[in-house]
Amino acid sequence: MAEPSAPSVRSFDDEALPHLDALYRVALRLTGDPAQAEDLVQDTMLKAYRSWRQYRPGTNAKGWLLTILRNTFINSYRRRKLEPVAMDLEAIEPHALYRAVATADPEGSFFGQLVDEKVLEAVDALPPEFREVLVLSDVEGLRYAEIAEALQVPVGTVKSRLFRARRLLQARLYAYAVEMGYIKPREGAHG
Amino acid sequence: MGEAIDCREAKERLTDYLKQELTAELAVEVHEHLVRCRSCFGRAKFEETLVQLLEARARKVTCPDALRERICALLRAEAERS
Repeated sequence: MAEPSAPSVRSFDDEALPHLDALYRVALRLTGDPAQAEDLVQDTMLKAYRSWRQYRPGTNAKGWLLTILRNTFINSYRRRKLEPVAMDLEAIEPHALYRAVATADPEGSFFGQLVDEKVLEAVDALPPEFREVLVLSDVEGLRYAEIAEALQVPVGTVKSRLFRARRLLQARLYAYAVEMGYIKPREGAHG
Repeated sequence: MGEAIDCREAKERLTDYLKQELTAELAVEVHEHLVRCRSCFGRAKFEETLVQLLEARARKVTCPDALRERICALLRAEAERS
């Protein structure tokens, strides 16, 4: 019979180690540097182990670990606090990529031409607070509520950041695709 | 059945729909619109493909083996200490 016992290395191993890939992926996108990402993951795992009693079994261990990682990053790895980015999103043509691709490349073969590095570069070029939401949501599959808890912001903020992040990402991939000649630039601003 | 939603509302709710973050009722309404509207359906497919691309590309990154080993050793040492 299992009874509530002191947190053991075994249960921590079982619950936490499967998420090392996710932790490293997010750490790499947040820091932009493999060595820093390794340090961040290591610090995160040590902190998580030491506060393992606070983890409620059956809840989302991945979300719990990513929250610790994100807090560690904010507190120790970044000198500047996240400032809201003043950006003229209206200047970015909405759905530019979609419209170009929908008419020129309805089969969507364009996606296959994007190399991994370019996609990741486009992600890394996003403003930090958009990037972290995009990575937690679209790459790691956390739910809005889990991201809101990790970031200590309202769910509505998570949604609007994700929306803006995707819009910026589209604009960047569109520019890249045009530059590489995968798609033709749209002629004229109207239409 | 509620009022059928229009393209503007479908577009607004598309991200939440694809994230499965809508109430069951709203999800049905968006779905009903998407299957009837060629333009919105195309947009939804595109958005879905973009996210799948992102996920597939970004998830190729995995934790280096050396880091994994180091962390396991660190945790064992930590366990012995306590």
